[in-house]
Amino acid sequence: MNRRIAIRNMALILGSAAVLPSCLGDKNNSKPIVELKHLQLNGDEQQLVANLAETILPKTDTPGAKDLNLHLFAFKMIDDCMNKQQQDDFKAGLKAFADAADAKYKKSFNDCTVAERTAFVNEAEKDIKDKAKDDAKMLTFYQTVKQQTVFGYTTSQYFMTKQVVYELVPGRYNAMYPAAKKEAV
Amino acid sequence: MANLNIDSIKDRTFDAIVIGSGMSGGWAAKELAEKGLKTLILERGRDVKHLKDYPTTNLYPWEFPHHGVVPSAVQEANPIVNRCYAFGEDAMHFFVKDAEHPYVQDKPFDWIRGYQTGGKSLLWARQTQRWSNFDFEGPARDGFAVDWPIRYNDIAPWYSHVEKFAGISGNKDGLAELPDGEFLPAFPLNAVENYFSKHVKDKYKGRHVISARCAHLSKPNQIHLDQGRGQCQERTLCQRGCPFGGYFSANSSTIPWALKTGNCTLRPFSVVHSIIYDEKKGKAVGVKVIDTNTKEAIEYFADVIFLNAAALNSNLVLLNSTSGRFPNGLGNDSGTLGKYVAFHNYSAHISAEYDGYKEWATDGRNPAGGGYIPRFRNVYKQETDFLRGYAAGFGAYRNNTRNSEGIGADLKHNLAKKELGGWSVGSHMMGETIPKESSYVMLDKDKKDQWGVPLLKISVDYDDNDAKMKKDYIEQMTEMFTSAGFTNIQAHTDTRAPGLDIHEMGGVRMGNDPKTSMLDKWSRLHACKNVYVTDGASMTSTSCQNPSLTYMAFAARAVDHWVNEKKKLNA
Ligand SMILES: Cc1cc2nc3c(=O)[nH]c(=O)nc-3n(C[C@H](O)[C@H](O)[C@H](O)COP(=O)(O)OP(=O)(O)OC[C@H]3O[C@@H](n4cnc5c(N)ncnc54)[C@H](O)[C@@H]3O)c2cc1C
Ligand code: SF4
Repeated sequence: MNRRIAIRNMALILGSAAVLPSCLGDKNNSKPIVELKHLQLNGDEQQLVANLAETILPKTDTPGAKDLNLHLFAFKMIDDCMNKQQQDDFKAGLKAFADAADAKYKKSFNDCTVAERTAFVNEAEKDIKDKAKDDAKMLTFYQTVKQQTVFGYTTSQYFMTKQVVYELVPGRYNAMYPAAKKEAV
Repeated sequence: MANLNIDSIKDRTFDAIVIGSGMSGGWAAKELAEKGLKTLILERGRDVKHLKDYPTTNLYPWEFPHHGVVPSAVQEANPIVNRCYAFGEDAMHFFVKDAEHPYVQDKPFDWIRGYQTGGKSLLWARQTQRWSNFDFEGPARDGFAVDWPIRYNDIAPWYSHVEKFAGISGNKDGLAELPDGEFLPAFPLNAVENYFSKHVKDKYKGRHVISARCAHLSKPNQIHLDQGRGQCQERTLCQRGCPFGGYFSANSSTIPWALKTGNCTLRPFSVVHSIIYDEKKGKAVGVKVIDTNTKEAIEYFADVIFLNAAALNSNLVLLNSTSGRFPNGLGNDSGTLGKYVAFHNYSAHISAEYDGYKEWATDGRNPAGGGYIPRFRNVYKQETDFLRGYAAGFGAYRNNTRNSEGIGADLKHNLAKKELGGWSVGSHMMGETIPKESSYVMLDKDKKDQWGVPLLKISVDYDDNDAKMKKDYIEQMTEMFTSAGFTNIQAHTDTRAPGLDIHEMGGVRMGNDPKTSMLDKWSRLHACKNVYVTDGASMTSTSCQNPSLTYMAFAARAVDHWVNEKKKLNA
């Protein structure tokens, strides 16, 4: 995607929020990617969320979170659709998440390799499954990012036209439809 | 100057005035204008033109800033309307926001409103069932409220009249408790809905699961095409306004039809403050309106007034229309104005799973939503420890096994899975509630809105009968689900306030006796015969069927009555 289109797409997603075009890309950068209305995150924190989103939904043979600007969508949702308390919890959880990564790898999550990030996130997934309680804040943060990234993904134009086709106008209701035919779709 | 004034009064004089352009007012206006009466519709909100003013109608999910989610600032500013299931990012512009039009809750009441051309008819779920004689005979048989002054036969032809024009899909099920109508083809039941229907029919005498009847053009007739409406395309995004006119709304149907006659004028931004009663003439002569843009007070005059501001606002207009003759509100000789308000109890639902019919699925979307279970409790005789009964929705759905487990390629795979899971089923209750004197609305003594109209104070509550009925719904549905072999049955109850059902009714009830009711059998005030009220306010009891079809039928019937009365006078 060329840079101008990338910026335009960001503007579309973010609506009124100002995009700071100097900060595209995943290089570490203390300047924020985007200015949010309520949620105050510095550049490193924003990068962490972006890298986390990419770890959750990486680019494979199909587009990943950054390709689809899902991190920007997540920012917008957390900024606009979560209340003050949830945003405070998000920030606290982000810090806990960053600290835990620092402690484990002796470098920041943003500086970790893709393999390290993936291992770290897999561990979080496991803790959630095992209902490990000690890192409640960090896991809530992780789940929020995952939830919004997944929501952004499954409601994205890419997903709804290329993966599971959404029909605005079905023009039919077949009440008795053979399951065999349905599964073939 | 003098001439100008006379001209101005002439310009403000009509044969008929309709207050409110929603579901019921649209019908009054259509019938009046078609019969040649110069008609003025007064609508407090903005104008919403069919197609033109449906800004979200063709948007894909990703084209909404928050992909459909209501931002938290909007949610926090609107705790009341945010509780309505249809208040989403795609339709929130059609709902009244909490702060815009405050009211006083003596007891918790979620008053859900749409102030615009079409009112709530843009937003409704389009479920349409006739009421039966079991409903109209209910109060007399069971000894509550007052006797309805009409019976099913009085209203049946008017049901037919509105059904033909609005377009109602359904099957002729031949049930006395849910009379058949003039139907377009029904949206069929799916495999599991059908299975449950058969099972219930075999196992439970007098219980039925039928295709939900709804105001959708499953197969339009000429009269619908003449309205510029077309076949429903199964989008199920109706609350945005339908680009095909596939469901009935005042915007797509009655209002443009009325305007097309050339006899009708629609004036938006016009809050009716009160109805003007002329003591000498002994009748209403017009209405006082506040223009919401200029705040100017203007009077309009007509021979007859149809009050269709939606149930509680119609109460408010009458309560605020005081005069020497009617110090307690227009037509309120009985002292019943504002009292005996009731609603529908939606506070229980139940879900389960079914491990059969794996060879069947559905394709496309069902605008009717699935099945409908007409009332089966206390129909022919009293059989439980509570009065009346409930209807229920019933639907079966088969989703695929998509889930958000894992990360990376696994997650992508899980999110895009195309394998079908098993069937889920669900039902919700729609209970009749008993109108009581203790459930009322009145004018607040101190607080007024920005147009100088007192705020409405609402004091409406559940009672013991509702609690027993809710318990019975859960018991009966659980038993029926169990007997049908459904598993993982989960009953849910909630503590929602009255009002969220959006079926509030009463306060200006019909009855034979002017001493105990407000309206006669023709829906006009006993004490002021040129004012008709044909929305939910006029309902003597609530039945458990969805009410809007009945409001529409009453509106058409009342116009016919007025026009016949006029003919008799002029003859
Ligand atoms: C989400 C939802 C789902 C629903 N589902 C169903 C369903 O499935 N089946 C069913 O039968 N019903 C359903 N309803 C209820 C249905 O919408 C109402 O019963 C119906 O719209 C009532 O018609 P009405 O004409 O009385 O009021 P409305 O349609 O609300 O119209 C009243 C109009 O009067 C105007 N008005 C109010 N006060 C004044 C004033 N002082 N001066 C001038 N104008 C005024 C309002 O702005 C409004 O436009 C649903 C409602 C909602 C919101
Ligand atoms: S389901 Fe039918 S009526 Fe509703 S929006 Fe769609 S096409 Fe229109």
